[in-house]
Amino acid sequence: MANYDLTPRIGPNLDRHLVFPLLEFLQERQLYPDEQILKAKIELLNKTNMVDYAMDIHKSLYHTDDVPQDMVERRVEVVGRLKALEESAAPLISFLQNASAVQELRADKQYNLQMLHDRYQIGPDQIEALYQYAKFQFECGNYSGAADYLYQYRALCTNSERSLSALWGKLAAEILMQNWDIALEELNRLKEIIDSKNFPSPLNQVQSRIWLMHWSLFIFFNHDNGRTQIIDLFNQDKYLNAIQTNAPHLLRYLATAFIVNKRRRPQFKDFIKVIQQELYSYKDPITEFLACVYVNYDFDGAQKKMRECEEVILNDPFLGKRVEEGNFSTVPLRDEFLENARLFIFETYCRIHQRIDMGVLAEKLNLNYEEAERWIVNLIRSSKLDAKIDSKLGTVVMEPNHPNVYEQLIDHTKALSGRTYKLVSQLLEHAQAQPAR
Amino acid sequence: MASRFWTQGDSETEEEEEESDYEDGGENAVGDSTTVAAGSRYLQGNASDSDDSDDQKRVVRSAKDKRFEEMSATVEQMKNSMKINDWVSLQENFDKMNKQLEKVMRVTESEKVPTLYVKALVMLEDFLTQALANKDAKKKMSSSNAKALNSMKQKLKKNNKQYEELINKFRENPESEDEADGGGSEEDEDEEEEFEEDPTKIMRSDSGEDDEDEEEDAEGGGWEKKMSKKDKLMDKAFMKDPREITWETVDKKLKEIVAARGKKGTGRVEQVEQLTFLTRVAKTPAQKLEIFFSVVSAQFDVNPSLSGHMPINVWKKCVHNMLIILDILVQHPNIVVDDMVEPDENETQKGADYKGTIRVWGNLVAFLERIDAEFFKSLQCIDPHTREYVERLRDEPMFLVLAQNVQDYLERVGDFKAAAKVALRRVELVYYKPQEVYGAMRKLAEQTEDGDSGELEAGEEPKVVEESRGPPAFVATPEIVPRKPTFPENSRTLMDILVSLIYKYGDERTKARAMLCDIYHHAILDEFSTSRDLLLMSHLQDSIQHMDISTQILFNRAMAQLGLCAFRAGLIAEGHGCLSELYSGGRVKELLAQGVSQSRYHDKTPEQERLERRRQMPYHMHINLELLEAVHLICAMLLEVPNMAANTHDAKRKVISRTFRRLLEVSERQTFTGPPENVRDHVMAATRALSKGDFQKSFDVINSLDVWKLLRNRENVLEMLRAKIKEEALRTYLFTYASSYDSLSLDQLTKMFDLSDVQAHSIVSKMMIMEELHASWDQPTRCIIFHDVQYTRLQALAFQLTEKLSILAESNERAIEARIGGGGLDGLPLRRRENQDYGAGGAAGGGKWQDNFSFNQGRQGGGSARTGYSFGGGRPLAFGQAAGGGFSRDRAGQGRGTGGYSAGYQSTRYQDTAYGGSGRTPYQGGSAVRGSQMDGSTRMVSLNRGFRA
Repeated sequence: MANYDLTPRIGPNLDRHLVFPLLEFLQERQLYPDEQILKAKIELLNKTNMVDYAMDIHKSLYHTDDVPQDMVERRVEVVGRLKALEESAAPLISFLQNASAVQELRADKQYNLQMLHDRYQIGPDQIEALYQYAKFQFECGNYSGAADYLYQYRALCTNSERSLSALWGKLAAEILMQNWDIALEELNRLKEIIDSKNFPSPLNQVQSRIWLMHWSLFIFFNHDNGRTQIIDLFNQDKYLNAIQTNAPHLLRYLATAFIVNKRRRPQFKDFIKVIQQELYSYKDPITEFLACVYVNYDFDGAQKKMRECEEVILNDPFLGKRVEEGNFSTVPLRDEFLENARLFIFETYCRIHQRIDMGVLAEKLNLNYEEAERWIVNLIRSSKLDAKIDSKLGTVVMEPNHPNVYEQLIDHTKALSGRTYKLVSQLLEHAQAQPAR
Repeated sequence: MASRFWTQGDSETEEEEEESDYEDGGENAVGDSTTVAAGSRYLQGNASDSDDSDDQKRVVRSAKDKRFEEMSATVEQMKNSMKINDWVSLQENFDKMNKQLEKVMRVTESEKVPTLYVKALVMLEDFLTQALANKDAKKKMSSSNAKALNSMKQKLKKNNKQYEELINKFRENPESEDEADGGGSEEDEDEEEEFEEDPTKIMRSDSGEDDEDEEEDAEGGGWEKKMSKKDKLMDKAFMKDPREITWETVDKKLKEIVAARGKKGTGRVEQVEQLTFLTRVAKTPAQKLEIFFSVVSAQFDVNPSLSGHMPINVWKKCVHNMLIILDILVQHPNIVVDDMVEPDENETQKGADYKGTIRVWGNLVAFLERIDAEFFKSLQCIDPHTREYVERLRDEPMFLVLAQNVQDYLERVGDFKAAAKVALRRVELVYYKPQEVYGAMRKLAEQTEDGDSGELEAGEEPKVVEESRGPPAFVATPEIVPRKPTFPENSRTLMDILVSLIYKYGDERTKARAMLCDIYHHAILDEFSTSRDLLLMSHLQDSIQHMDISTQILFNRAMAQLGLCAFRAGLIAEGHGCLSELYSGGRVKELLAQGVSQSRYHDKTPEQERLERRRQMPYHMHINLELLEAVHLICAMLLEVPNMAANTHDAKRKVISRTFRRLLEVSERQTFTGPPENVRDHVMAATRALSKGDFQKSFDVINSLDVWKLLRNRENVLEMLRAKIKEEALRTYLFTYASSYDSLSLDQLTKMFDLSDVQAHSIVSKMMIMEELHASWDQPTRCIIFHDVQYTRLQALAFQLTEKLSILAESNERAIEARIGGGGLDGLPLRRRENQDYGAGGAAGGGKWQDNFSFNQGRQGGGSARTGYSFGGGRPLAFGQAAGGGFSRDRAGQGRGTGGYSAGYQSTRYQDTAYGGSGRTPYQGGSAVRGSQMDGSTRMVSLNRGFRA
């Protein structure tokens, strides 16, 4: 199932640190040999400052207690640098830790800077040091510290570029700390900035959007309300275009969100068109499932795809999130997905059939006969379906649903009189206004 | 004649130079004075109205003397114009002389005509007979000159009758008078004298300088004199003592030759030869370069007319020269070619060992583009069915090498803007070649290398001989730049490299053209989605009507190719969308620049025709029109036949292809239908079969077309076509006969249309979902149950009536709105509101790519705003679908999305390409513009109806 794994495509759009959760997941799912994953982890860590962690992994990978020399050296270097940065940022940090002093800060940035400068001799250098220090903390894996410092830094910083990268850093830190609510706030803030900012080239903007969408996957599939919000974000024209041009693999997540979300029907139709259009550039079982149901009306194919989808969902780090319930863990999204997908198939199927054999239906829905019957009865009862079950023949009979011709005619013409009336009144108004002038 | 003029010029410069030498014997003066000399000489040569020439000394004389003086001056001028064969000024001078004659007669109060006059007449007569005898020269003359010659002939004849006696007398005894000037017969002697004089003068003037120079100058005088007899002698003269030739001499000579350029009577070919010779004696690399630039431009001059092309051997030499130029440039990286500033006179004197930068005037890109243009023109002119054409095509690699080298050089120098231009030229030679042709060219280029040297040799035979005869060139230039093209294996690779360079550095037009070529090339390689995305992302369809005609043609070609590509890929609706506009005007030949189509209503002036001819594509770049027509009509058939079957009640309502409908009407009106002959007949026959549901016959008829052999993967395409025909036959059948059935089993259908269960099921299901077919499946028995919701005739008519009513109400609303300018109409008609939505959708959809691509035009907003007046609400709707729905076949909701697609995708574009484009140029009159407006309005109506349904 590794061929539907998106990690290689998602990875480049994430921060180094954000890839760890993905690798952890892969390790858990055993999609790739352990060794490969461990090596990949070391690769990742090489550029960060989490040297201790890297050493641990190295040990477990090669089953030794020796650590390569360069790692040791790097550790020394990192520690040294940490010290240096700490020192240079110390005045500001001590100020920020002093609660009463922080009280003096106001909403006015200029005032704050002035105040810091006058009373605490904290100038731009120290503020810059704070940024560097926060970054270093982040690199070291101290996300909560980094998040705090970055938050403070943003309050003081005047450089918009820097402020933007601080925001990115904050978002990453919050995601890694799994503070989904705060992360969502940061995400929205970042989105606003990206949408409103003037980028040197449109390409940069698109790139930023794509990063944002990739990062947001963490939030949306963990936050309670995420599944509607992912549609809100991804289905915006600008973002959808970015997906279509540069990251069609994100369609998987959008498609899943659409399937799981029942209330998004109007947008859904448009989305089907996008899927159809992008089939040549990207497909996986989930998008193919939609194509089968809504483009080709190939229900057997949809059936097959549905089974594949299950696999894909289980192996996807975002979709396949597990929830421990008592002794066994479930994947809530999978169940939801399957239920809705079934409904999709059935709905479409019913629209073109007058009489359906229950046995066939049960098979198509991946249910047994009894379950299928119960399922349909439930649908009929909740009056989602205008149908009757013929239990002797074992069939479902749909009630024909055709609008009366005469009703249609009346509908067509109903508006006319109103329109004409309005027209006349306007004309009269105009005619009255004319002589008055 | 030219050689005579040559001497004339020489002698004069010599004189001038002498003067300047007196002034400030410095080196710089030489160059300066020569330019001055050139200028004044030019003035003198052409000054036809000089009553008194400035050069003449001014002494107070008696009136009689003065008159005589004037007359002799005129005679002198006539002599000059004779030398340069300038009959226009000769004629003027002749008239002037006659006037002066009257004055002279009055002053002298004698009956006797002055001998001077008679002598002039004799001279003229001689010269005239000589000129008339020389047929070749006469042919070469410019038209005004020839006309002057003819009128001169008559005038002289009439005039001379009066003086017949005197003339005869004079002829008998020419030496009876002793005039200061030598007689006409003495001309040669006179010149001789002058020449003899010159060196001596120089001797005197240069006496301060060392002997060598003197001698050399004298030598120069010597060879120049001989030159007057024969050009070849020049070589020999230079050959005599190559060591003594200095930079100054060469420079002087170069300037003389260059100054003569463009003058009447200057032999263009000779000029090239002279310059070529000079290249060999050039002293410094920079000078050599400079001379080479002159050679190349002189070679461009060889063919003066715009419509004709440069002789092929000259073209080849020209390419060769360009290569040498590049050699020099590569060998001496300190030489900079620039056309911005006029460099110092003596820049080129700096020798090969000079370290600083040397600026030489020239523009490599312009030369290259000109060479390309000449190549293109030659292909336009040569009859494509001859061997010559093929031979000519073989020269293409040669040009590609040159372009490649120039581009490499420019990239090395860092002039990426120019490099992008050159890259575009290369792209334009490659883009239309499918991989096979490209491969063939590549092979040709490789194997000609052996043969190529031979071939090149053959082309340069005279040159080689010359070189062996002449002394070795002073500045040897080894062949540094490769003479052999290096092509990547794959044409796509080459395109990608070039195109990405252009996208990075090119200007708007270059980028647009490169984009179109890219689209075209992708389409050839069957990459429909890529090329479609490129087209949509570039927003070219919005801006194309503002571009030049040749780019518009390229756009049309790209669209045509895109249509073919879509067809090959089985995307019928898309194919139709691309092609339908091309065929809507019936001027496809003109739009693709593949021939001139006659317009019934509009006669073109010769000027327009010439312009159009100049735009034509060479034969090897043509898109096969029969294939194109076949594809277009088949696409239209596949879309239109089921559509017509579905709307039998009001067939006029939803028209997908107007062209197709018209053709169908014409063919139905025929009393007898014979066996199909042309493409059109075939498709019509297929249509008749298809509308009866007879897919087999329909396919057979289409299969018998012989254009299919032009397709690469013919089997696949025909297989696809067969499947499509089956599908549409099924649909047509269901539409037509649905009312006759109560139920219909799937097995029956699959048997009838030779389809698989799944396919048939899918097709029918789709129709049900789209509510095209009022039926549903009975799953246990695998039957289609038809619901009796087919409208009766009365009901259908009632629907039509309501439809009409709402249109009426709408037009009322619009009329009122127009009248009272109801911007604030709160009861906006339904249609308008919808349109606005779509418009917004369209704008947003257009914005889709807005920020993705740096080269988008940002015209989207303007586009949808513009629609307000030109296309009613039609276009935004179509746009919304095109952008939002992409190319999907959306049969639900607003009728067929494809209809909208095609219109939105193209309507204005093609229209404007056809009408707007040519409307701007003078050759399309008002009728065309009117036509376009009309077309626009009809389109609007049809579209509105289309989506209301």
